[in-house]
Amino acid sequence: MTEWAVELKDVRKTYRSGPIEVPALRGLSLQIAPGEFAATAGPSGSGKTTLLNIIGGLDRADTGEIWVAGQNLQLLSSSELAHLRLQRIGFVFQTYNLLPVLTALENAEFTLLLQGVPARERREKVEKLFLEIGLAGLEDRRPAELSGGQQQRVAVARAMVTQPALILADEPTANLDSATAIALLDVMEHLNRTTGTTFLFSTHDPQVMERAHRLIRLRDGQIASDEAHGKQGAAVRAERDAG
Amino acid sequence: MTSALLLVKISWRNLWRNPRGTLLTALALGLGLALLLISLGLLDGGHEQTIADGVRLGPGHVVIQAKGYQDTSSDELLLPAQVVSTVDGFLQTGAMKQVVRGVSPRLLATGLLSSSANAAGVRIMGVMPPAERAVSLIPQRMIQGTYLNDDKLSGVVIGDELARKLEVKIGSKVVLMTQALQQPGTETKKSGGEEMHSTLLRVSGIFRTGLQAFDANIIQLPLPAAQTLLGVADGQVTQVALLLEREGDALLVARALRKQLTGAPVEVLTWRESLPMLAQILGLDHAFNYVMNAVILAMVGLGILNTILMRVLERRYEFGVCKALGLRPGQLAVVVVGESLALTAISLALGLALGLSVQHYFATSGLDLRLVFRTGLPPALVFDPILYSRLTMNRIVWSVSIVFMMATIISFYPAFKAAQTELPDALKVL
Repeated sequence: MTEWAVELKDVRKTYRSGPIEVPALRGLSLQIAPGEFAATAGPSGSGKTTLLNIIGGLDRADTGEIWVAGQNLQLLSSSELAHLRLQRIGFVFQTYNLLPVLTALENAEFTLLLQGVPARERREKVEKLFLEIGLAGLEDRRPAELSGGQQQRVAVARAMVTQPALILADEPTANLDSATAIALLDVMEHLNRTTGTTFLFSTHDPQVMERAHRLIRLRDGQIASDEAHGKQGAAVRAERDAG
Repeated sequence: MTSALLLVKISWRNLWRNPRGTLLTALALGLGLALLLISLGLLDGGHEQTIADGVRLGPGHVVIQAKGYQDTSSDELLLPAQVVSTVDGFLQTGAMKQVVRGVSPRLLATGLLSSSANAAGVRIMGVMPPAERAVSLIPQRMIQGTYLNDDKLSGVVIGDELARKLEVKIGSKVVLMTQALQQPGTETKKSGGEEMHSTLLRVSGIFRTGLQAFDANIIQLPLPAAQTLLGVADGQVTQVALLLEREGDALLVARALRKQLTGAPVEVLTWRESLPMLAQILGLDHAFNYVMNAVILAMVGLGILNTILMRVLERRYEFGVCKALGLRPGQLAVVVVGESLALTAISLALGLALGLSVQHYFATSGLDLRLVFRTGLPPALVFDPILYSRLTMNRIVWSVSIVFMMATIISFYPAFKAAQTELPDALKVL
């Protein structure tokens, strides 16, 4: 039986503001296999953000089960969730969100530092990754001295450097021009292929949807469609179906 | 580099994201510390000066007098000659010679001083001129003529107010009349059943202390002349006044003298006991200044709180990102406290530089109070119009520690706010 990278069972989440209730997820169930390169898409209010928040342990569901890296997030305390995020999940944000006071290298090694990895090992890992994703030579630059594409690649390096089981990327290409977005997708796809790390995006970008091996369309807090793309997508689909 | 060092690095660099703002804030907080140091320096300097002048116009840092004199002020209460010689011998010992700057035996009484124009009640101080010079401020405050000397027993020095009232000048003849304390004097006459003595004196000097009570009442004449006039046996005096090298030794010296004079009918008092009004006034002044310093500290504290809190609120999103990446609430709090402490350290450096510079100026050149009190100096507290600041290392360490501790404690609230950053509310993207 397959151990899913992410598994959601009948997850419900409703936001409340006084007497007003806004259902964001309505009994959503989903499995994502290890190594998938998947994207969620859908109109605003369809539940993409809430879904990523809940999978990333940044928010809690009202009911249902959320399994990530073999752990039920609903049963974890806040500090246990923080530990899980640090050890097993990488985040790539729409607006990069690098710490402006740290250099590119320091930003990339931020999570390694929090994990207590020794200095030499940190530097080796970051430099190797920087070389791989085209950031070599930019280690000492602060975010303000980098282009949007370079900043987002540093953010990807920060997310990848700890070799997490899962990377959640919220509209990672939203602030990038088309050529830079393609280059970033190349980097992420390359990392997915070479490391086997699971990627889950939320996106409005047709390029991302096209490059994703699996596209999950959401509507009104439920899955409207779930399609495999390309050879890799078909292979993953076959494996999932077999599981 | 450990994660703790990373947090320190983030704190320090965060501080310089807005260098102008940081420097302005540090300057404002530094000004608070500088004000505190200047205020403490002037307060301590003023008090030290007031005590120094007060004891030199009064009974010294320590006074030995007959038991009961402090309460009754009875001129009849005299120190036996034997006690005076015991005290004199004791003060010649090595340890005491180190701490005692001057010793002046005094014979005190009341009398009536008359000139050809007028008469006034006076307080008579019979003194040994060389000894009194070492203890009293009066010899230094002569504005006309000269102070007493041992060769001229008929000389008297009086205050300028008294001179004006009696319409006398240097060389004028005055007659001092008083009631004999013990033996008949050189010239006596009976008045109302009491034995009265009088003597002819010549004004040799006029002093001005600035205190009306002194300048209009006190007269000083040589001790032998006073003893003769008052009919007191040689060696007997009202009190022995001691001026010490350091005011802080007063209690120790008084204790040593009490031990030495155990069983003798005497009282040994420190200036706090012999001048209780002065001690109370200084105590009140201290209390008032502590309140003022608390206000300064509160202003400094609110400045730190406001600055750090604003920095935290501005960076709520950034803290959300850090938390999403796995930074624990406690580590976020460390970043904020670290920032606050770094800001405080810069402020302290600026405050110390500024405060100590101004303090140094006031310590060497002094603050001329005549520029502040143009209409006249408050007579009870200040005798010297130039106020010299005095700041001890203890005061500096105390001030810096208080500001540092306060900043640390105050930073806990913004740190708590940062640690409380709620996910996912702090993140609008995910």
